[in-house]
Amino acid sequence: MANDSPIPVTILTGFLGAGKTTLLNHILTDQHGKKLAVIENEFGEVSVDNQLVIQSDEELFEMNNGCICCSVRGDLIRVLGRLMKRKNRLDGVIIETTGLADPGPVAQTFFTDDEMKAHYRIDAIVTVVDAKHVVQHFDDAPEVRKQIAFADVMILNKSDLVSSEELDALEAKVGSMNAAARVQRATNCDVPLDTVLNIGGFDLSRANELDPKFLQPSYPFEWAGAYPLPTGTHELVIGHVDDEHEHDHAGCDHDHDGHHHHHHAENELDVVVMPILSTDQDIVDAARDIAVVSFSDWENRVAEGETITPGPTLQRLLLDEGNGRYKLEVTAPGIYLVFEGCGDHPLHLPVNGENVKPVWQQDYEHTHSHDEEVSSVGITHPGELDPQRLNDWISRLLQTKGNDIYRSKGVLSVKGTPKRLVFQGVHMLFDAKFDREWGEKEDRTNTLVFIGKDLDRTAFTEGFKACLAD
Amino acid sequence: MHGLTDRALDDTMQLTKHWAVALDDYVIDMGWSADGTTLAAASAAGPVTVFDAAEGQVRHELPADEEGTNVLAFHPTQNLIASGGQDGAVKFWDVTAGQQTASAELGGGWIDHLIWSADGSKLAAAAGRKLALFNPDGSQLHAFPPAPKTISALAWQPAGGCLAVAYFGGVIMWDADDFVVQNEFAYANGIHTLAWSSDNRWLVSGNQDPSVHLWLPEKQDEFHMSGYESKVKHISFDRTGRWLATSGGREGCVWDCEGTGPEGREPAMLPHDAPMCAVAYQNQHSLVATAAQDGTVRLWSPERQQALRANVKLPHPATKLAWAPDDSFLAIGNEQGVVYVLKVES
Repeated sequence: MANDSPIPVTILTGFLGAGKTTLLNHILTDQHGKKLAVIENEFGEVSVDNQLVIQSDEELFEMNNGCICCSVRGDLIRVLGRLMKRKNRLDGVIIETTGLADPGPVAQTFFTDDEMKAHYRIDAIVTVVDAKHVVQHFDDAPEVRKQIAFADVMILNKSDLVSSEELDALEAKVGSMNAAARVQRATNCDVPLDTVLNIGGFDLSRANELDPKFLQPSYPFEWAGAYPLPTGTHELVIGHVDDEHEHDHAGCDHDHDGHHHHHHAENELDVVVMPILSTDQDIVDAARDIAVVSFSDWENRVAEGETITPGPTLQRLLLDEGNGRYKLEVTAPGIYLVFEGCGDHPLHLPVNGENVKPVWQQDYEHTHSHDEEVSSVGITHPGELDPQRLNDWISRLLQTKGNDIYRSKGVLSVKGTPKRLVFQGVHMLFDAKFDREWGEKEDRTNTLVFIGKDLDRTAFTEGFKACLAD
Repeated sequence: MHGLTDRALDDTMQLTKHWAVALDDYVIDMGWSADGTTLAAASAAGPVTVFDAAEGQVRHELPADEEGTNVLAFHPTQNLIASGGQDGAVKFWDVTAGQQTASAELGGGWIDHLIWSADGSKLAAAAGRKLALFNPDGSQLHAFPPAPKTISALAWQPAGGCLAVAYFGGVIMWDADDFVVQNEFAYANGIHTLAWSSDNRWLVSGNQDPSVHLWLPEKQDEFHMSGYESKVKHISFDRTGRWLATSGGREGCVWDCEGTGPEGREPAMLPHDAPMCAVAYQNQHSLVATAAQDGTVRLWSPERQQALRANVKLPHPATKLAWAPDDSFLAIGNEQGVVYVLKVES
């Protein structure tokens, strides 16, 4: 066949009035000399000569007993099937969905059919967000959250209509919902086209597609506090052992209603204790990034009365009904940062009979509040995976949780192969293939991200760790 | 022709180029006139070219659909073509004069399917979920209520009593005279193609799942044949209605539908090295032609021990195979827009 490489497909989503048609017109006027086909699901005012604009009504094909995870868009199969029948290959296809469309079946259409897979590849899902009005739609239109969750690229449009503080807050909010998307600000969807077209955002086959920084907006720990400690062996007290002392970080009022973060039994608490030079933001951030890795690493189990030493090791304190006393060995005076897996446990560090007050503290889970339905779970972890365990885990995970997992992507290091395994999924459907070899100087680090609703970070992390090769 | 001297097999056939002409785009559909003197070929870009079948001269180029033609249907007795495409109109063409005689809208967007009843009295046309019947003069005979989902295939029962209509989720059989539902069969997946056996017994679908599904509407019975490598987009019955050739990946196969049908019977295999893209039984004889994505076109006598009768390789994959009414020529359209007419000789 003359035209072997798959045609890139850009899926444009966004709520009514967000600016999809503006972006589409912007793309089409700037793409002179390229033959693009546009599939529109609602009547837009696309006004460009020489491009193929096809109107098509949304039509859902529900496979497997109406399960939404397996539904595909029949109208797209029809139109895309016809668009394959050309002597000269198209340069690209843009699908503009309705403001109320679920992006899932649109994306799934490209997973279900050999012909679709051979002829097309999703380049990116681009979601246009109305910076002024999106927040109010979070509550009244569930589609909006889904469109954000599915995005590879998010355009915060009409950013001139809100203050820069509001825009920062919005960016943080959508970033916590979908930590893997690239967020761009725009006033009239006037973004450079190379940030929305041919970006390979979906298939991850380009290098370093997943920046480990995507982990930042959500963390495997809920609280950290910095304690100045002298040399010596101190007592680390968890729980209401001594009733006359207040909770040191009372006041961080965790609103857990219904969202239980006690993933382990009540008789365990994960902590990491690390020395830091100061509580300057960059130093704390560096320690935090180390702690993120520690929290997804193997734990050291610590029984009552046993000693822990500061360092990047996950210490799983074994509690007795929420209470426990441990020894913390400090060999040099300084500031020690304690990360707590669950921030609900009172923690005390008495020195000479007085509880040391933390000189700095932060709630991490508060940066993305517990009522946020849509969130991202990122896992970065060194080491090689056992292919069979990995396959079993991913298959089982997507079968049982596929309804809630909107998107999944990853670059994985599999034992016995020099190549990177690149993985992507939409709900229950996924595709994994080996792409290039790992570079000589490249760390074989596994990077995975799941975007969805009500995701249980600990279960993901532990499921992943069980896939590591022996 | 070039005599295989040392091991001249009696049953080897020759497929030789009679003529070839390049169109401007992908050959999306083709059809022969009833007398075999005319071949019409539609390019995906729009025009329908009418050829003198004997020598390949262009008689007319009909501006069928400027936005792109999807389908053409040669009338079974008259020198008349119906064409349909992306502008949403069904157009009727007098092939002798090269003139459009009528045009009709369905209102469902692209025209995807056009098919004449065997006696030529009715043209069935589908666009999206819309379905209508037209007279040969272009006037509308009847408009059916829209199908539940986009119509994916049409097939007239050879006796003309009903029209089978496939959509995602099932098949409806509309009575051709009273326009009432004769039968409705649920099928919980996508259907790509429909075919009736010439004896009117079997209605068969080729499916996305991938499988073929067979109905015996008279007996309200049905059978399911699965195990295909990929979706079944092409099926073709032989002239007797006994043999059903099907694609579905690299291994095409032929089912024996005599009596109680193919269940429990071993099919005859029609292997290719690449996924198949067309299957067509002859009109008067018993050969079946198959084509694959690697450009090969093969002729088979499936009932024989040595089933493969001829093998040619063309530079591009075929999009359509069309036998002349008397089977003397096989027309092949391809993705690069070339129409080949091959002569078939034993």
